[in-house]
Amino acid sequence: MKSYINSYESLSCAGNTQELMQAIYTKKSAIEIDTSYMPETPVALGKMKEGDFFQALEDVVSKVLTNSNLENFSKTLLIVGSSVGGMAESESHYFKDKDYKNIDPSRHSISVIANHLQKSFNFLDTRSLSTACTSSANAMVLAKRLINVGAYENILIVGADALCYTTVCGFYALSVLSSKPCTPFNEGREGMNVAEAIGALLIQNHKTKDSIELVGVGASSDAYHMTNPDPEANGAITSMQNALDDAGLSSEDIDYINAHGTGTMANDKVEALAIEKLFDSVEVSSTKAIIGHTLGAAAAMEAIISCEVIKAQKVPPQTALTQQENPNISLPTESFGKEINYVVSNSFAFGGNNASLLLGRVK
Amino acid sequence: MKVALNIISGAKVFAPKKIEDLEEKRIVPKMMLRRRLTRNAKIMLYIADKCGFKGGKIVYASAFGELQATVGITDAILNETQISPTLFQNSVYNSAPSYFSLLNSDKDEILTISSGMKSSLDALKTSALQALTSGERVLCVASECLDINNIDEVNNCTSYLEAGAGVVVEIAEDMSDAVEIAQLKQEGIIESIQELFNLVDMYEKEGSLKVVIEL
Repeated sequence: MKSYINSYESLSCAGNTQELMQAIYTKKSAIEIDTSYMPETPVALGKMKEGDFFQALEDVVSKVLTNSNLENFSKTLLIVGSSVGGMAESESHYFKDKDYKNIDPSRHSISVIANHLQKSFNFLDTRSLSTACTSSANAMVLAKRLINVGAYENILIVGADALCYTTVCGFYALSVLSSKPCTPFNEGREGMNVAEAIGALLIQNHKTKDSIELVGVGASSDAYHMTNPDPEANGAITSMQNALDDAGLSSEDIDYINAHGTGTMANDKVEALAIEKLFDSVEVSSTKAIIGHTLGAAAAMEAIISCEVIKAQKVPPQTALTQQENPNISLPTESFGKEINYVVSNSFAFGGNNASLLLGRVK
Repeated sequence: MKVALNIISGAKVFAPKKIEDLEEKRIVPKMMLRRRLTRNAKIMLYIADKCGFKGGKIVYASAFGELQATVGITDAILNETQISPTLFQNSVYNSAPSYFSLLNSDKDEILTISSGMKSSLDALKTSALQALTSGERVLCVASECLDINNIDEVNNCTSYLEAGAGVVVEIAEDMSDAVEIAQLKQEGIIESIQELFNLVDMYEKEGSLKVVIEL
């Protein structure tokens, strides 16, 4: 069975999917300077305008359902990818009360997102994954395999992470936060922008008139360091190669790579090296320059962006690129139209956890 | 869709508070690395060792993940002290299997399931899928570490505050003689890892075991 992405919607600091793509193609970063998490240290973050994260979650999933060929989700498996789950709510109680009495354990853990959506939409079953910044990528890896073996007909992927003190202050402790909108792949880049987002994609075993195929998935582990990527880029190369092998394609078939491209020194250097080693010529950009790093939601968001890129047949530019660090990869600074049949979307995470998705135009 | 899994090996460990002997010095000879390990990582490494698993695909499960690291971070934020970078890197749910990957140079796929109280059941389903699609043996392991200093709300939630169980599985050639996982209530073991405890109990009792899993 093949896997088709037949309906999707997203919400991020750049707005809904349509607004996000407009921001990407016009190079308007939605990242803003923030002092609410660290009053004495301004950092650039991607904050959604919607105040109630769980209401926003329901709204996004409702739109996916409305735009699908399903009447409801009763025959759909929900797979959620998130890195923090209900952390923001737990923090709020703890910082206010200075004790743990009002923290509900079931609303603290990763599964709070799936449980919340289950109450509203009555899914066939739910599953939750948490592999830090590859969470929703691995959710999509599972979804493709489950559909391929014929276990499910419909799977909804939800990648969702809300901003919280733990991630903002934690990444600051690692000295990888930027005080301005991030500049992926640029010489002298300052770091990443933590951000929040919700991305949902309905993957089905049949195509519709507007389908994008999830052609291949690949994953690997660096086995090198808990936070730094393997400097030889072996893990990233294996992840992309596994996705190509799964799809039965070669590197020459790929027309665009939506890079993980966090804007940190370590990630971008290694990812650029991986692309340089594996691909002869392919356009690359990181859309995190527009919406920041949405952590567990990032892969779902970037899969949606990749679907839109294939539909638009237009390469997204690399925003904020002034001096390219690695001259051996192709980072377009302006968008342009070209035939785009296949797109690779990368996600890399703490623990050396790597996942690559390969999406294709349905002919 | 149902598949049958052969259980190749299995192990479990649990204690009312801290599990005393996880054989860390033998399993992790390098002191610097050993000192960085989370409690979940130590349990996970111990289970993998007892299962004779040297490398390959891993599916790890935990409902609450690295609670001790999370508590340390929020305490630091509340008290306006510096967050330890090691604490932050250890706070992600995939820390435990990632340490296995580091120690054993395992470059294969790692998935971490956190499905609340059905975490170990979903991990078994995911392991079955991984075994089916790869044709390889898969380590499925689940742990919870709830022995958190000064947090009574956590420390009183179950009898065994540290517990872990795991099995190495492979796809069976056919469904014949495959049995359902017994739905026993493991007294004192938190629900999120019960399914794996039941499976390890069945394996230890039978010696050889084939079970049915719904993907």
